[in-house]
Amino acid sequence: MRGVRVLDLGTFIAGPHAASIFAEFGAEVLKIEHPVAGDPLRRFGSATEVPNRTLAFLSEARNRRSVTVDLRQEKGKALFLELVAEADVLIENFRPGRMEEWGLGWDVLREANPGLVFLRVSGYGQTGPYRNWSGFSHIAHAYAGLSYLAGFPGESPVVPGSVPLGDYISSLYGAIGVLLALRHREKTGRGQVVDTAIFESVFRTLDEMAGVYGLFGTIRERQGAGSFVAVPHGHFRTADDHWVAIACTTDRMFQRLARAMGRPELADPEMYGVQANRLAAREAVDHLVVTWVEGHTREEVMALCLEQEVPCGGVNSIADIFEDEHFHARDMLVPVEVPGVGEVVVPGVLPRLSATPGRIETLGPALGDATDEVLRTLLGLEDDDLEALRSQKII
Amino acid sequence: MDPNASYKGTSNPLAPPARDLPLSGVRVLDLATVIAGPYAASILGEFGAEVIKVEQPGVGCSLRRFGTPTPVGDTVTWLGESRNKKSITVNLRTDEGQGVLKRLAAEADVVVENFRPGTMERWGLGWDVLHELNPRLVMLRVTGYGQTGPYRQRPGFARVAHAVGGLAYLAGMPRGVPVTPGSTTLGDYMTGLYGCIGILMALRHRDLTGEGQYVDAALYESVFRCTGELAPAYGRYGIVRERKGPNNNENACPNGHFPTQDDRWVAITCPTDKLFSRLAEAMGKPELAADHVFGRAEVRLEHHHDVNEIVRDWCGAHPCQEILDRCHAAGAPAGPLNTIADIFADRQFHARRTMVAVDDDEVGETIIVPNTLPRLSETPGEIRHLGPRLGAHTEQILKDLLGLDDDDIAALREKDAI
Repeated sequence: MRGVRVLDLGTFIAGPHAASIFAEFGAEVLKIEHPVAGDPLRRFGSATEVPNRTLAFLSEARNRRSVTVDLRQEKGKALFLELVAEADVLIENFRPGRMEEWGLGWDVLREANPGLVFLRVSGYGQTGPYRNWSGFSHIAHAYAGLSYLAGFPGESPVVPGSVPLGDYISSLYGAIGVLLALRHREKTGRGQVVDTAIFESVFRTLDEMAGVYGLFGTIRERQGAGSFVAVPHGHFRTADDHWVAIACTTDRMFQRLARAMGRPELADPEMYGVQANRLAAREAVDHLVVTWVEGHTREEVMALCLEQEVPCGGVNSIADIFEDEHFHARDMLVPVEVPGVGEVVVPGVLPRLSATPGRIETLGPALGDATDEVLRTLLGLEDDDLEALRSQKII
Repeated sequence: MDPNASYKGTSNPLAPPARDLPLSGVRVLDLATVIAGPYAASILGEFGAEVIKVEQPGVGCSLRRFGTPTPVGDTVTWLGESRNKKSITVNLRTDEGQGVLKRLAAEADVVVENFRPGTMERWGLGWDVLHELNPRLVMLRVTGYGQTGPYRQRPGFARVAHAVGGLAYLAGMPRGVPVTPGSTTLGDYMTGLYGCIGILMALRHRDLTGEGQYVDAALYESVFRCTGELAPAYGRYGIVRERKGPNNNENACPNGHFPTQDDRWVAITCPTDKLFSRLAEAMGKPELAADHVFGRAEVRLEHHHDVNEIVRDWCGAHPCQEILDRCHAAGAPAGPLNTIADIFADRQFHARRTMVAVDDDEVGETIIVPNTLPRLSETPGEIRHLGPRLGAHTEQILKDLLGLDDDDIAALREKDAI
């Protein structure tokens, strides 16, 4: 992505994660922030030794520099449009309509830069009756139908593991949109808008749920630790009080599990060898696996399953992950030295490319660390200009 | 009520692939099975790429059997997720089949596969071979654990990736059974997305330099990448995050699910103090947002039981719709926990055409599928048709693309190579 300049006007993670990926692969990412407040992610999550730079911010605002501009002031808008003219990609996640209120809608931006690719991320999208509602990942999980499915039938629906999941997923769709739009721009010179809704991104990942309801009227319900497509397919407690995940998606996988359990006869076709039989006898099959796993330590269960090539894995806490040799071998836990803080361990770079791998150079910047330099080199401003802008609190 | 009623006749996704889309002229061979690799290829197909699904003769891709069967045998998942693809059967376990695959790879821009590491190499179809054959080729390799590292040979599915990547541990009641984080296929889709980004960046690099490369995507890593400050917080402070049930108050409060008077659930979150003051207003208790009450995040986090109780009492005393109306009027983030039935009745889904109805003549039904994402203003993606029958395009592709004639094809069939 070398040679691509991205302006990241977003807050929190939905949208900014797309900019992070581009930055990891060589794009120049400038984080545009309010001169006083900055991105609220700076104050969200676990604090560090440096003010306004939580661990969440350090990790997610990697490889960027920060430029402060107040978009609510006329001079700030003019300055921002000059930056837009020098950019390839602009990312924002304000409430739909906010940028238009400021006089910075797509028409204005496009006039400043006809080749601009504009990624807009919001809870409900730029169109439709709910577009102005406030939306975060947690709300989008619920609205898109994911949260309803997490938990035990008849009990409280729980958070589906990670609160910001939808922020990342929508960023991934956004990144794909930007890459497609850049490709189109190279052919035609024309930019365009990518309209990413967090709820749609989450909804898109729910496999056949919509199609099945449309065809058969089946409403998918909470599945506890299990799955509607296969049995056994869940989480099981070991003798040493850990949990393992076992997934027998096919009959062959169950055959292997039966061998691992030392009970190959369970995989006879007239017993549980056929998925339909297992689905019909879900409780009985799960009970057999529960009982077997309870009788062994996590290490034993894993060894027996892996010997037979049964898909299984530990239900890892973050402490387990830090001890896991595979995470380390694959550089998924990257220590980065942050001045004034020390070492911070962050998730490594994805996707992994063989010839042009990405890299992490810096973690989240101090507010406005590059304002002067960027305005000087990119827009040709001088010391007097910068001083004047600063005294008016525009930068 | 016919749940499809409102979708029928609202779209004609079988429109011809007329426009010049971003990936027009890009050819993709999809050798992969459930669901990560194929999903990456599907996105490319929605934006103009020609996607050829290469399947084992007789059995086909396991995705055809994943989920709920339709009258033609293939499942709803297959129909929806194999959109726009052509199906060709090639037996990669035979010499002749390997020969056909090499010739196809020479004509392709992208190959997507998800065999166990080493399998393609055993067939003489490893990266080195394909790269030499076609130096411009981009290859997406999807596995449970990646192409390197000590676990690379372990079988992996999204279920296992959710566990290994640290997501499953966090879903469920405190000290209770870790539950499925909503969907068993989440990790597949997330990996498909990272994989697709990898392909697009690699194509970009190739167009600039002529040099192809491969993308090494691991299911567990895609899941792990999306866990926020889980890793930094453990690394720095030794904090082991645990299951929190319906209320996760590690970084925000309230941030959870609350039952309503009419026995539904709403999600409410206030990641900033400003949003909490709006919620307090919606609840008719603006005084709660005073600095000395619960106006500041650190106070709310410390007293999350009290805050959650206030929100729970308020939600329990009102029907779901009223809670949503009041929150939306005040600008507080709230949303219903929708079932798929709720979603089919929802105005926003309709207005955005988040789902579309696609006719499949052979199935004899209209299938509702999620629309294309991402949404591009100038070059939107398209659904031309649903997942094809097994081998429907074998002859056409072998003739048009490789120049084989009827005799060649008969000979290949004879040897079970196609």
